[in-house]
Amino acid sequence: MTIMESEPKNQPVVRSVAYEPVRNAPVQSYKMIEAIRNGQTPDPTVHKEVIAPDAVIEIEKFNLWYSETKAIHDVSMKVPRGAVTALIGPSGCGKSTLLRSINRMNDLVDGVRVEGSIGLNKSPIYAPSVDVIELRKRLGMVFQKPNPFPMSIFENVVYPLRIDGERRKAVLEEACEKSLKAAAIWDEVKDRLKKSALGLSGGQQQRLCIARAIVADPEVLLLDEPCSALDPVATLKIEELISEISERYTVLIVTHNMQQAARVSDYTAFMYLGRLVEYGPTAKLFQTPKLIETEHYVSGRFG
Amino acid sequence: MSEVHQSHTRRRTLPSAIGEPMIWLTGGALVVCLTMIALLVVLVVVNGSASFWPRPIEQVTLEDGQVFLGIATEHEEQTGTTAKRTLYRVGNRDLGQESFRWVDDDTISDIVFPKDAVMLEREAWGVWFGVPESIIRVDDANDVTTIAVGGGAFFDEYATLHTQARRDKLKIEHLKRAELGAINTKIEDLRLKLRQAQIVSERGEGGVVRWSWTLWAVFGVISLALVGLVYQIRHLGTELGSTNARKGKLIRSCATVGVVMLVGAMWVGAPWKGHALNEQELVAMQSLIDSREIELLVEYDQVLEKIRRVEDADKQLRIVVVEPTSGQFSPTSQTLADEHLHMSQVVRLVRANTLTTTGKVGVYFSRWWEYLSTFPREANTEGGVYPVIVGTVLLTLMLTIFVTPLGVIAALYLREYAKQGFITSMIRIAVNNLAGVPSIVYGVFGLGFFCYTVGQYIDTGPSTRSRFDSTQWWMLFVLTGVAMMGGLAIRLWSAPEPGKIASSMNVRMRQLSWVVWTLVFVMCVVLVAKTPYFHGMYEAQAHDGTPTFGARGMLWASLTLALLTLPVVIVATEEAIAAVPNSMRQGSYGCGASKWQTMRRIVLPGALPGILTGAILAMARGAGEVAPLMLVGAVKLNQDLPVSTQAPFLHADRSFMHLGFHIYDLGFQSPDSQAARPLVWTTTLLFLTIVFALNFAAIMIRSKVKARMAGPTV
Repeated sequence: MTIMESEPKNQPVVRSVAYEPVRNAPVQSYKMIEAIRNGQTPDPTVHKEVIAPDAVIEIEKFNLWYSETKAIHDVSMKVPRGAVTALIGPSGCGKSTLLRSINRMNDLVDGVRVEGSIGLNKSPIYAPSVDVIELRKRLGMVFQKPNPFPMSIFENVVYPLRIDGERRKAVLEEACEKSLKAAAIWDEVKDRLKKSALGLSGGQQQRLCIARAIVADPEVLLLDEPCSALDPVATLKIEELISEISERYTVLIVTHNMQQAARVSDYTAFMYLGRLVEYGPTAKLFQTPKLIETEHYVSGRFG
Repeated sequence: MSEVHQSHTRRRTLPSAIGEPMIWLTGGALVVCLTMIALLVVLVVVNGSASFWPRPIEQVTLEDGQVFLGIATEHEEQTGTTAKRTLYRVGNRDLGQESFRWVDDDTISDIVFPKDAVMLEREAWGVWFGVPESIIRVDDANDVTTIAVGGGAFFDEYATLHTQARRDKLKIEHLKRAELGAINTKIEDLRLKLRQAQIVSERGEGGVVRWSWTLWAVFGVISLALVGLVYQIRHLGTELGSTNARKGKLIRSCATVGVVMLVGAMWVGAPWKGHALNEQELVAMQSLIDSREIELLVEYDQVLEKIRRVEDADKQLRIVVVEPTSGQFSPTSQTLADEHLHMSQVVRLVRANTLTTTGKVGVYFSRWWEYLSTFPREANTEGGVYPVIVGTVLLTLMLTIFVTPLGVIAALYLREYAKQGFITSMIRIAVNNLAGVPSIVYGVFGLGFFCYTVGQYIDTGPSTRSRFDSTQWWMLFVLTGVAMMGGLAIRLWSAPEPGKIASSMNVRMRQLSWVVWTLVFVMCVVLVAKTPYFHGMYEAQAHDGTPTFGARGMLWASLTLALLTLPVVIVATEEAIAAVPNSMRQGSYGCGASKWQTMRRIVLPGALPGILTGAILAMARGAGEVAPLMLVGAVKLNQDLPVSTQAPFLHADRSFMHLGFHIYDLGFQSPDSQAARPLVWTTTLLFLTIVFALNFAAIMIRSKVKARMAGPTV
């Protein structure tokens, strides 16, 4: 039976309600935010735990322009291997742009220019010798709005294999089952694999998209606000799923939802107006952040 | 609160806020439109379906003592110059009268409906009204045996004898058309083969070095291997150019260009093409063909003999139907006025005044069947429209087959590959304007370009004056290849580095690549237009003065209509492609699909219903066009269908008949406009039905596709 899930059109940003927002916050104390608002790029506060570890993705002084508008300013960060890293920050702070720079989806936008470098397993992805198609095959991506293709559930999942020219039925079926199981949706769809994927509910569609993203065994899974178009029940399922698959994959997730970041991620980066503000282990960032701005943001007092 | 209340009471209700007049206006407009459309359909259906209904035969006696048989077809009220009058179809043109006749109603003294009066629908010279007298057999010695005399006996014998006679007639037709036709074609083919050999022999090889099969095979294998190898090398990059990808692209493209050129060279030196024969060989060929021709002529005579035998038997059976006033019987033909009509010349005998309702329905449907399944007679005013239907349906299908892929591919490029900017918007505007060009203009273009330029090129190759000599041509050939590769390289290296925006250098290189590509295009056209190696595919026919493709025909008509309907397909496809959500494309790219894979697997299937809508619209538009067809291929009468059971089955070079043109021809070009008038309506009804049927079929296909694509809606 299909669980009917409504899809709220205007998803409000769910903020922590544990803290009462302070209406007259001491604005003058947000030194870093003030500097950023004035167009400067102060050095971010990076916790020592994220400086050393074995990194899958290394972002080095990365800048990005949409035509004349600069969207990312000098961001440098390392995404640790085998963990879930969350990117948080208010709307328009460049989290999604940063995420989409990692699989070079921004190449599809006219007038995008970048400086600096991003490395995936030590190899620079903006080097002239890189083949974008090959690069994207090494990364799995899940989008904000579930976007299953208008074809059967089976064909949706094996799409990345199909475009690699895989035709053997047994291989496709095995991969499909494995990845649907990993995405915790196998039991719900195993009897209707040949049916259209558009018949699934929103939450199921999103898990299907996750199954599609992991079917070709990517090195990193990029999640761009995967729950923002889903209701709380579906969100919960996706979050559980993220925790599960993080055992096998490195996950980089963009989220608006502070609680979600706190629940699912091991590391969190707080961004503001295209700058990295504070980056460290999630527990520390949420409980004992070094910056007052971060503390206020995660507690919903500004942003 | 009180302020709000006050301001509310102060407001007036504007007239525009009262909606009723607008409901009346808009609803009224719709009613007017619907009424007109309904009227059109009803008028066509009523008039079109009524014309085959058998009507009673009246024996009219005028006050001046004249008596005639006829069918009242039209009544006219009194006007300023004419009295109240009736139009009678009186037929019997053999008697030297008009087949229609206006009679003032006050001059009629008596009308009776004689039971035995019949209307003979004959193969030639229209209908004959009279009273059947007898069926006779005239044998070779001109001895007459009477088989049946008088009303009852006549009708009893008539039914079986007539069926048999018509069957024999059909047999003769078949023998003449199929068997004699086939032998004629064979003889003609032999003659053309010889003629071709003579022409080639006179010309000589013209500087062509013929390759041996071995050489040809070696080159073929090399080119295939080259392509295979290049496309096998993986990691040569794909879209959105990195240097590596560029190199791969360039290598692949250059290899493709190289192979295309190699194939071109191979084609020039093709071993399968006819060698120039020397004198001796020509003589040998001539004698071979002569002996074959003699065999065929013997065969021809045998068939003729067979035909003569059936005909001799057939013409013995005669039917005597007498016009009561003059006592004249229906003759075999105008020149044989004293011979009785052959039984087999009667298409149908309608004893209109004694027909029961069932009988009338029978006649009605048998007339419809004759109309749909036979060839026209009597300058299209009688008989059927079978070749017209075939022509119309085939033309519509062919134009759809031509226009859909072309339009879809063009729209794909315009929407998916091309950089959206000034040039693409200009192209869009141009395409939209193309839809507004008067259709006769396309006809003129089709005649001038397709028939007389491309067609003549296919028939005879470039004219002798405009041919390059072989050195010039091969130089240009190599130059074109080099320019192509250069253009590719420039275009590829004009793309900015990944993550960088285009510098002015990049932009300039891109513009340069445009120039180079334009040049390449022109050079390709020149290469084709001035080749010294192509002498046409129908050279022998052209030498005899009968063009094959260099004249009006089905192919050029369908291409002209394809061009005419191209904007419809392009616009519809573009809209359908644009309607595929971007999130689908993003999802596909995110999975590592290339642009083409995304297009093929996501965009095209998603846009398919919209594309089919475009094809349907194009089909509907093209099916109804008449004006351009008058210039590029539709004719008044063509006994040779554009499809046949003889190879190549589809004869796209033949001219054809078309319902739209047929209606015009019946209405305005007919020698007997009164006789043609009911057929105008019937043909219109048929045309309407066929266009509806084609559209309906296409819509059914589309809804099938739609149902397969879309899942159950949540």
